[in-house]
This record gives sequence, C-alpha cells and structure tokens, in this order.
Amino acid sequence: MMHEKDDVHENPTFDPDETAMNLALEDVTYGVDGTEIVTDVSLEVESGEIVTIIGPSGAGKTTLLRLAALFERPTDGVVRCDGTDPWARSRDERLEIRRRIGMVFQRASLFETTVARNVDIGGRIRRPWSQRLRDFVQRVGTRWIRGSPTVDDRTLEALELVGLRDEWDRDAGSLSGGEAQRVSFARALAPRPELLVLDEPTSDLDPRNTAILERAIDRARERGHGVLLATHDMHQAERISDRVAFLLEGELVEVGPPERIFNAPRDERTARFVRGDLLYDENELPA
Amino acid sequence: MALEVLSDPTYLRSIIRLSLTVSLLAVLLSTALSLPIAFAVGFGDFRGKRFVTAVINTGMGFPSVVVGLLVWYVLSNQGPLGTLNLIYTPEAMIISQLVLAAPVITGVALSAIESVDDAVQGAAYGVGGTRADVALITLKEARYGVITGILAGFGRAISEVGSVLIVGGNIAYADGTSKTRTLTTAIQFEVRKGEFETALILGAVLLVLVLLVNGIVLRLGGR
Repeated sequence: MMHEKDDVHENPTFDPDETAMNLALEDVTYGVDGTEIVTDVSLEVESGEIVTIIGPSGAGKTTLLRLAALFERPTDGVVRCDGTDPWARSRDERLEIRRRIGMVFQRASLFETTVARNVDIGGRIRRPWSQRLRDFVQRVGTRWIRGSPTVDDRTLEALELVGLRDEWDRDAGSLSGGEAQRVSFARALAPRPELLVLDEPTSDLDPRNTAILERAIDRARERGHGVLLATHDMHQAERISDRVAFLLEGELVEVGPPERIFNAPRDERTARFVRGDLLYDENELPA
Repeated sequence: MALEVLSDPTYLRSIIRLSLTVSLLAVLLSTALSLPIAFAVGFGDFRGKRFVTAVINTGMGFPSVVVGLLVWYVLSNQGPLGTLNLIYTPEAMIISQLVLAAPVITGVALSAIESVDDAVQGAAYGVGGTRADVALITLKEARYGVITGILAGFGRAISEVGSVLIVGGNIAYADGTSKTRTLTTAIQFEVRKGEFETALILGAVLLVLVLLVNGIVLRLGGR
C-alpha cells in the first residue's frame, strides 16, 4: 500500500515470520595474487542467531563478510546457503540467493535522494523492468502534477525498526552520520533478507545511535534472521552475540559463546587479543 | 539598421530556428554517442584505459577551425563522403558540431561517473542489484555531472563560429532567410559589415537562448 506525505498514521508491524537462511562456510580460502587473506575458515550462521567476528585490523574480517554475502568467490572451499553452493549455480540462480542476504557497510553510502527512496531501492530493483518503467512514469507524474512523494508499507516498517519512521520524506543528504547509518540498515532490511551481513555498522556512531542500531539488530534476530557481524567493539560483541568468532591473520582461531571467549578462552591467542595484546603489530609502531 | 532585424521577424526567426535545430540535434546525437562511451570507460577495467581517457580529454580542446577543416575535407566533393552532397548544408553543420560537442560531453560525463564513490556501487550491489542496476544507480548519482556535460556540449555547439562557417558557408536564401546562417555566423557577418548594433542584438538573443535551454535542462534534471 502506498502512502502520501500527510497520510502516514498507522503503526505497521513486522510479521514474526519469514523463513531464514542457514549459512555455512566450509574450509573457505580467499586470496589475491597468491596472497591468502582468508585461510581455511569454517563457520556457520543459523537462523535467529548473531555471530560476531572479532579480530585486529587486517585480520580478514571484511573479506570474510564479502565472501559470506557472495560479493567474492572463494578461491578454495565452499559457501553454502541452505545447503546450496551458489557459485555452482547459474548467474540468475545466484542472484536469487544473493537477494536473500542483506549487507550493511561501515559507511552508510546513501544515494542522493530521499530517505524513502534509499530504503525501498531493494524492492524496486527486484521488480521486472516493465513495471519499473511504469513506476517511474507514475512517480514522475505524481511529483510533477501533485507534488507529493509517496512511501510504501515495507519502507515504513523498516524505518520504524531504526526509529526513523517520520523521516521518510527527508533528503538523505540532510541526515546526521548516525541517522544515515540507521537508514542504511533499514535499506538492507526492507527487502526482508533472511541473513544480514554487517561490516562494523556502528564503528562511527555515537552511543545513542549505536544503542538504536543494536536494538534493531536484536529485533531482526528475534524475527528469525541470521546475523553475521564484524566489530572492533568487544563490549558490543559481548552484549549482542550468541557466538563470537576470533579471526587472526585470516585464520579462525576460536568460536564460542561470548562468556567463554571473553572470560575463559581456550586458545592463548584469543586470550591475548581479549587482553589487548594483539590489537596491533609491534613492528608497525613508529620508533 | 539595427531595428531592421527586429522589424523583420522572418529573418531573425529563421536564424534562431536553424541555430537551435542544428545545435540541439548535434547535442542529442553527441549525448547518444558519448554516454555509452563514458560508461564503458568509467566502468571498464582494461589495458589502455588511461590512454583512452587522455584522448577524450584532448578532444575537449580540439580547435574548432581544424575540426571544420577536417569535416569540410570529408564532406567536400573530393572527400570520401562527397557523394552525399552534404557540404554547405545544415547536416554538415550538425556533423561538425557533433565532433566538437562529443568529447566535451564524454569527458565531463566520464569524470562524473568516475567520481561516484565506489561504496555507493557496493551498496547498490549489496541490496541485490545486478550489474545493470549498479550502472543505473551510478548514472543517477552522477546525473548532475552528466547534465553539466550535456550543457557544456550545448554551449560549445551553439557558440561555434569557425567550423560551421567552413562547412555551412553562412548562406542565406534570396528572400533573406537562413539556409546555413546561424546566430553566431550572422553576428560575424554583421560585424564585418560594420553593423555592430545588429550584431549586439543578435548576441543578446543568443545569450537569452542559451540561458533558456540551460534553465529547461536543469529543471528537467531536478535542480
């Protein structure tokens, strides 16, 4: 259902619902020009759980997320989505699988348009080209003749989740950094992906915006979404994760519940990282 | 004498009509040619990309008289396309303006496309976009730069004197209306006759036309 500017009153709610994807990385390796960035990583994300990847800068966290979101093809090993290897399927089939995954980056990177147009982009690009053309003509007509922008239910639902429901007609360029990142999260969520892949989504945010986004991530988990998150924030990892995975120099050192990883890690390297010993390479420091 | 231009609207109208027709068609064709090239170069990752970009940028500074000379040679009776009998016609003027405007539109559009943040393309891909979706979203993000390129191309085309004079010949029919006479060549013609006031009036008309076209294009582009 479409709403116009002064027509947004009701409170839409999400269906508690929806099927969720199980993601499994099986002995995944990824390298560029002979240099391995991720080596032999095996990790699963079940529906309704938050798996957080921690590790020092350059450990391969972003690359691992890009492999999980099907941005990159592993040089070795398999990424399975509900048991299927997308890279063994046709491009169209892989696109269908990729569209079941939503990705949020460290930077919001919103498009130069309204908040609503940013959030509903996922829905629009899933429509057939003929319908997209019709929608375009209709939208231009609405804007020029009536001067009134419109918004659909899914967009409002996603914005509701990040506390920006009333801001849907604002220009994205006028948002603060925190608001922009919340819109970016809503943009990933609006097409109702089954798995969310989040690359340090709160690293540039103030505590208030971080709290809002963490609550939104938690609500996504409650709805059955699997969440794979990379963060530098140990407290955040401890707060919101069901399981924490420690990545070091491209290798997965240890995976477990946050209580164990942060209080009684099994691997000495994990213990050193948690203590703050492995945050940087001593050789990288200036003399 | 200057008032004659205003008192005989047929002459003025024919010059304005030809100027606009030639320049708008040249820009339309240039845009159709330039945008795919800008896209292919902007998105492509191939050997010689820097060389192609350098050629496009060099093209932006082509001396118009040299372009006119080359087009004249190609279209003249002795030239490779001489049999088409296009020399001293509005079509020849369109071709010369196309050659001048295309590098400008390509260069500015390419720069606009390349300046779109890679992260925006990643975001477009991340919400489930295909390569075509990513390209379309990038074009949309670059739209103001692309529009600026089209306007710069139009500016170059409609203000052109040298090449249109060579390939068009600044010809008027016996009744005084324009065959290949544009506002710019008419200004040059009037100045040579010593009719500075008439030239100034024509110059003012040209200025108003350019402002009008720019305003319309910017409005359509949402600015």
